[in-house]
Amino acid sequence: MYLQLGWRNIWRNPRRTIVIMTAVIIGVWAMIFLGALMRGISEQMVRNGITTLTGHIQVHHAGFREDPIIENSIDKPEVVKAALSRILPPDTRWTTRVRVDAIANNARHSGGVTLVGINPEREARISFIGQAVTEGAYLKADDKYGIIIGKALADKFDTKLGRKLVLMSQDTKGGIASRAFRITGIFRAEMEATEKQFVFVTIASAQKMLKLGDGISEASILLADYKDADRIADSLKGVLSSASYDVQTWRELLPFVTAVLKMYDWFIYLWFLVIFIAMGFGIVNTILMAVFERIREFGLLKALGMKPWWIVKEVLTESFFLLILGMVAGNVLGFMSVFALAGTGIDLSALSEGLEFAGMSRIIYPVIVVKDIVAANLVVLVLGLLVSAYPAVKAARFTPVKAMAHT
Amino acid sequence: MRKKSIIIFWLSVVVSAILCGPLYAVEVETLVRDAVNYYRGNASFSVVDMTIHRPGWERTLTIKAWTRGEKDSLFTIIAPPKDNGNGTLKKGEEMWIFNPKVNRVIKLPPSMMSQSWMGSDFSNNDLAKSDSIIDNYTHKITGTETHDGKKVFVITSMPKPDAPVVWGMQKLRVREDLIFLSQKFYDEDLLLVKAMTGTEIQIIDGKLFPRVWKMQKADKEDEYTMLEYRELLFKENLPGDLFTLSSLKNPGR
Repeated sequence: MYLQLGWRNIWRNPRRTIVIMTAVIIGVWAMIFLGALMRGISEQMVRNGITTLTGHIQVHHAGFREDPIIENSIDKPEVVKAALSRILPPDTRWTTRVRVDAIANNARHSGGVTLVGINPEREARISFIGQAVTEGAYLKADDKYGIIIGKALADKFDTKLGRKLVLMSQDTKGGIASRAFRITGIFRAEMEATEKQFVFVTIASAQKMLKLGDGISEASILLADYKDADRIADSLKGVLSSASYDVQTWRELLPFVTAVLKMYDWFIYLWFLVIFIAMGFGIVNTILMAVFERIREFGLLKALGMKPWWIVKEVLTESFFLLILGMVAGNVLGFMSVFALAGTGIDLSALSEGLEFAGMSRIIYPVIVVKDIVAANLVVLVLGLLVSAYPAVKAARFTPVKAMAHT
Repeated sequence: MRKKSIIIFWLSVVVSAILCGPLYAVEVETLVRDAVNYYRGNASFSVVDMTIHRPGWERTLTIKAWTRGEKDSLFTIIAPPKDNGNGTLKKGEEMWIFNPKVNRVIKLPPSMMSQSWMGSDFSNNDLAKSDSIIDNYTHKITGTETHDGKKVFVITSMPKPDAPVVWGMQKLRVREDLIFLSQKFYDEDLLLVKAMTGTEIQIIDGKLFPRVWKMQKADKEDEYTMLEYRELLFKENLPGDLFTLSSLKNPGR
């Protein structure tokens, strides 16, 4: 009976119903779509962070993270390699790298970069660089003088493929190591900062230049499932003594990203609440108007013997219909806009300079997180009914006498 | 491929033989080395005015310098008083600087090697790697000129493959009496970046020597650094303890 009554009641004034439903639709759409955008941004940040030479777990020599100098290299990589191949599950990918701060020079320019010595074959399956080379070719394992630099760095240095770049850094003996490389590849990255910062050479040539012997700076591990990071890091810590090795997961390696992720969680729920508050006033107002218009009617129902609680239920049913209809349409619209953008993403490259500062990508792909959808719909439904309780109770309070007196 | 390179090789031999005669082709490496050694002497003491000129301003520093052989040198600023005592010690490819205001010696890290020395148009690398022209380049005489009635060899020096130098080419002009007239630095597109020229050749301490050196940035007329020798003494040797960190702190002891 309530359902029938409520359904008929809301369509007694279709224009009003449609207006408030539109408000609910826009509200729900905004929650879902903007929520998905924020999730997209944060997911992209995590992915960028992990593929930009981080991985899920890293092993360093103790102290390297605080002071990344060449003296803090791992001088017995075979210990680490043995531990990794024993402990890691077989579907895990890992690689070793040399990473030092260096100065790149050519005839007219010089600037600081991070020199990364990589094992080309293993690295390609772990970090972004495997797919990032857009001009020239990726490094080969026996490439003694090849170097891959970012597009932004190439532009800054007015250089191009085939040109020479002289790198200088400190070697293990405290002397100045310098070596000439030829640019064999130019890579593009999500962020310009990455393109400017990293230059890649083979690990053998980096070790030779820095007189490192077999030494490495870090081992980077990419797990099949990132959720295992903590567990596997713990078992690695059991084998590699903390006195000489640091084992860290991406959460510790990327503290900024971790903090932003947490912040976004709260930000999304706050956003839901803000949208709802705006929407809630509309709902209360509409229902209240609908109730006041029908004072005589409610009086009559009461006179006919309808209990106050039934009237409350009836009004709440009306509001329930409004909310459900709005939610369904809002969800459909929200999903549709997310899917429409899933292929192309939103290109923010016009704003990218400012965004890069916050570690964001040039193109944002919205991501739907079930938790957020459920939360958005629950917020609208539960709080929507809660605020409608006020006009509903108001309706239930009219006495037949007062209602009849009301004209 | 091999055949082709042999042909090119012989062709260049023939061409250079026509241009400058076979004698020079053999001698060019020695010529450069001898010129560098002549310029540097066994050991030397000098007082130099260094003028740094920029569009907006100009300043002059007076520097006392000691050099010994290919490896060691010590510079200290004596004027203006504000900069008095600032010093640079070079041993091999390593450099230290001393600042009396903070009373501290700093070993130059690689990151500072490509920066300019004392704000001039010379980089720390220019000082630290002064032997680079001998070790890292292959030289070829590509022309001759005359200067004050003497023959001048124009030498084109190309960096050896994989040599850790940034220049794409250098051009040297060396007079037959081993005096460097100019050294030009080119980038990999063979465009001029900067050039150093020596002028006012006169007899200093019994030896012909350009008294004024000028390092000039290409296309920037009013950006240059000029070195003018006030005093220059060539010595057979200098004591080894002159080129130590303690004498960097107390120069001219």
